[in-house]
Amino acid sequence: MKKLCEYNAYELSEMLSERKISSVELTKSVLERKEEIDGKINAYLFTDGEASIKMAEEADRLIASSEAKSRLAGIPVGIKDNISTKGIATTCASKMLENYVPVFNATVMDRLSRAGCVISGKLNMDEFAMGSSTENSYFVTTKNPFDLTCVPGGSSGGSAAAVSSCEAVVALGSDTGGSIRQPASLCGVVGLKPTYGSVSRYGLVAFASSLDQIGPFGRCVKDVALLQDEIQGHDPMDATSANRTYSSLYDGLSDDVDGLKIGVPKEYFGKGVKPEVAEAVMNSVRELEKRGAKAVAVSLPSTGYALSAYYIIACAEASSNLARFDGVKYGYRAKDCDGLIDMYEKTRSEGFGREVKRRIMLGTFVLSSGYFDAYYKKAKLLQKRIRQEFTDAFKSVDVIVTPTSPSEAFKIGDRISDPLAMYAADICTVTVNIAGLPAVSVPCGYSAAGLPYGMQIIGRKFDEQTILNLAYAHENAFGGFRRPKL
Amino acid sequence: MDIDIRHIAKLSRLRIDDSELAGYEKEMADIIAMVEAMPDIEDELTVDPAEAMTLRADELGEKCFSRDEILKNAPKTVAGCVVVPKTVD
Amino acid sequence: MIKGYEVVVGLEVHAELNTKTKIYCNCRNSFGLEVNTQVCPICLGMPGTLPTLNEKVVEYAIKMGHALNCSINRICKQDRKNYFYPDLPKSYQISQADIPLCQNGYLDVIMDGGEVKRIGIERIHIEEDAGKLLHSDKFDGSLVDFNRCGVPLIEIVSKPDMRGSDEAKAYLETVRSILKYIDISDCKMQEGSIRCDVNVSVHKPGTPFGTRCEMKNVNSFSAAVRGIDYEANRQIEILEAGGVVTQETRRWDDQKGVSVSMRTKEDAQDYRYFPEPDLLTIVVPEEKVRELKETLPELPNAKIVRYVESFGLSHYDAAMIVDVVEKSAFFESCIDAGCRSPKLLANWVLGEISKFMNEGTAIEDTCLTPESMAELVNYIADGKISTAAGKTVFDIIVREKADIKAIIEEKGLAQVSDESALEAIADEVLAANEKSVADYLGGKTNALGYLVGQCMKASKGKANPGAMKEIILKKLAERG
Repeated sequence: MKKLCEYNAYELSEMLSERKISSVELTKSVLERKEEIDGKINAYLFTDGEASIKMAEEADRLIASSEAKSRLAGIPVGIKDNISTKGIATTCASKMLENYVPVFNATVMDRLSRAGCVISGKLNMDEFAMGSSTENSYFVTTKNPFDLTCVPGGSSGGSAAAVSSCEAVVALGSDTGGSIRQPASLCGVVGLKPTYGSVSRYGLVAFASSLDQIGPFGRCVKDVALLQDEIQGHDPMDATSANRTYSSLYDGLSDDVDGLKIGVPKEYFGKGVKPEVAEAVMNSVRELEKRGAKAVAVSLPSTGYALSAYYIIACAEASSNLARFDGVKYGYRAKDCDGLIDMYEKTRSEGFGREVKRRIMLGTFVLSSGYFDAYYKKAKLLQKRIRQEFTDAFKSVDVIVTPTSPSEAFKIGDRISDPLAMYAADICTVTVNIAGLPAVSVPCGYSAAGLPYGMQIIGRKFDEQTILNLAYAHENAFGGFRRPKL
Repeated sequence: MDIDIRHIAKLSRLRIDDSELAGYEKEMADIIAMVEAMPDIEDELTVDPAEAMTLRADELGEKCFSRDEILKNAPKTVAGCVVVPKTVD
Repeated sequence: MIKGYEVVVGLEVHAELNTKTKIYCNCRNSFGLEVNTQVCPICLGMPGTLPTLNEKVVEYAIKMGHALNCSINRICKQDRKNYFYPDLPKSYQISQADIPLCQNGYLDVIMDGGEVKRIGIERIHIEEDAGKLLHSDKFDGSLVDFNRCGVPLIEIVSKPDMRGSDEAKAYLETVRSILKYIDISDCKMQEGSIRCDVNVSVHKPGTPFGTRCEMKNVNSFSAAVRGIDYEANRQIEILEAGGVVTQETRRWDDQKGVSVSMRTKEDAQDYRYFPEPDLLTIVVPEEKVRELKETLPELPNAKIVRYVESFGLSHYDAAMIVDVVEKSAFFESCIDAGCRSPKLLANWVLGEISKFMNEGTAIEDTCLTPESMAELVNYIADGKISTAAGKTVFDIIVREKADIKAIIEEKGLAQVSDESALEAIADEVLAANEKSVADYLGGKTNALGYLVGQCMKASKGKANPGAMKEIILKKLAERG
């Protein structure tokens, strides 16, 4: 018999509102699944079964009183561990925050709480969201449910793996350069990186403020739309949050893509991208053409430089954002310090992992006196150009389709000692953050070894609806999530 | 391009052991080599009035945090204050 | 000019703004409360928190920009200034780097002699204050109080246009006075709500500027004067001994009266400024900028000029009244309430009223109103009561609400100005003092004073001394 945790959120939502199941039953099913499987996957960093059940009971009361306004009432949601949860450890998978418990909720958590969602637990990630494999977690390496010797992608590897292995119904992740889409691709699930400004960043522990965005994971497009409906919206606590009206993506979902113009940029299908992946994406495009969409060649000439611009901007901001972890107010403080400077240096050297330290130093370097113009300024000018190229491309197409990741999941340990090889995992995704656009990754095929490929659909600013509609059409035409054999 | 890792580490308040130095130098040099391929662009950074933000009204918030709550995560406190090694000035 | 050297001074004034809430969060902006009680996750820089800019901070800074004749960059941004220190929770200060809110202005400073000196204003920008470190010899460590984190500041940077500590002092006093008049800062030096960094260099006139040193920790205007004088002399001594002044940051120790080197240019901090990504562009509508200019109150310098020109006050008296907003406001309210002698009123404001204000009593804590004060001054100005009687009335109306006319009657304070009554007194006194009359008529004019004095005595002090004198003179003339 199909377990509750294996259903999609939109199905569970109906079952809950029709009182066929209770949130407590559902939550228990998710927790049991976690108990059963997470020893292999390591998706969760922290769960509190009792607290989750309490939230479920609360949700059941809400549903019973018919006061539940949200379709997500009673649905368990897994939370990436860089999203602040009041009273629940938020470690960013770092030794630095091992014992840190926020005294406030991220805005998205307040929203989920108001909706009556249940927190199923906090999910593993690369330390401070820096990485593409979840190997940079201080605590544990998450495994890919399709092959336990492979990485789940990153940095939101825990979120993707949990959803893929049915340890979570849906989950929140964060995406700075591909951290939702790439693990979604590697774990065969759907992941949306929303338009910059559409989801509040308040309470998201910042990696790169101008690029970070919280977004949903689900096993189907409908679930992603449901969760995005809940978290999107203006927040006066976040000055970069866009003050506009947001309509329901779930209600607007349609698989009618007749006449839709799909841009196919050649720069994303050449060097650095595995031919099998490129072929899988083109297959999907052809499938969509059969449904009335029209593929158009477009050009995004600066794509090759995007990774450089991305690493400069992201690391510059990170070097400043992570300077607050100094052992003074919260988090780790080194023992036996000889004066202030010693405390700072010991605390930060011991509290941060290698990748984080490398990025802090890179960011410090590109902002330091004498180098600002050569690196930071140049990267920002390139960002402006990349944005313009997207704007120009969107004059002739409605969406742009690319591979999400240049390859399927790679082996654990394969790239960890070669930063450039690791950074290359982001070549198809970083441009979207640099341009502030929305993009969704959907499963679009499998390697010979059975590892998923992902297709990225990029849209115009705030046009999540169109990319989700195409994703939905693709899911219906091509088939979506396939459960890994665990 | 040579990067003075020690200087950068000092600015970042990080301490790099001698054993790690060569590794960081190599990795940083590789990354810098990659980013140096960026093209020169004849343009200036400008502020974009289209990206205007809404300012906050000067009104007191309702939510108050107690001192205990605020200092809950502090590694060391005395008399309602965070303690740090003695500072000179 | 010392030993042929000209002293060149530039000042950076930091003023805390008196907004209700902090610059980036809605915590209360207040001084002197219990440690770490005016803080929230945002001003403590807790992971995930974000700043939101207080609109009043922008408005206040623009007001100051208008007051200092600046051009306003109504489209600008904020930047991060990165450095590690325990009182700076985020390890960066949100400030403004290349595009300040206001720039290129000037301030006319009126020196003691009345001459006007124009000081250029480089820029005014907005930023957040840091917390405070507390030290105790008994304790091996420092304590951090974060209450002050996020208190809004404006930094006013002058051009190196001052030539000595006297000009610096006049500049600082004028800046403080303006801050108070436009009501954007409490300017309480002892509470640290206004602080300054001082840049000093020396050179021989006609030669390029010398190497400058920046002095920090200057906590009062008098300390600024001492610090500038000390620093100028120190540099001149170095040059006179054939040495070279090195560019450095020095720390002023006011107790010892010396400046000590903190760091040289070589190990200057690298603040790695870059645009604050958590905030978007500050865009102030043109109408708002204009409105802030139009609603600017009359500024202290203009007030001084007006008091001199319209009311006939001396420059000194005018400046003394204008120096204290409350005095100036009361002075003007009295004029509005019908006071007919501004000069006499000025004497009262700078005399009796200043006396109780200096003792810590505010005007509104007394029963004195502009109407009663105007009435009292008019009684004196019209010769209806004497200045001495006026003091008696003043002491009463400060303490209680009372009808001045009734007090005068009740206490018999009215001056006798009635001509026939005064003539009767004069006749009596002249008759009783024939010798003095003769002396006066014989050319000893100082006998007049004696005769008037005798008349005052005879009237028990109630005679109007001016009128009395006129009558005596008239009667003496009749005899001569």
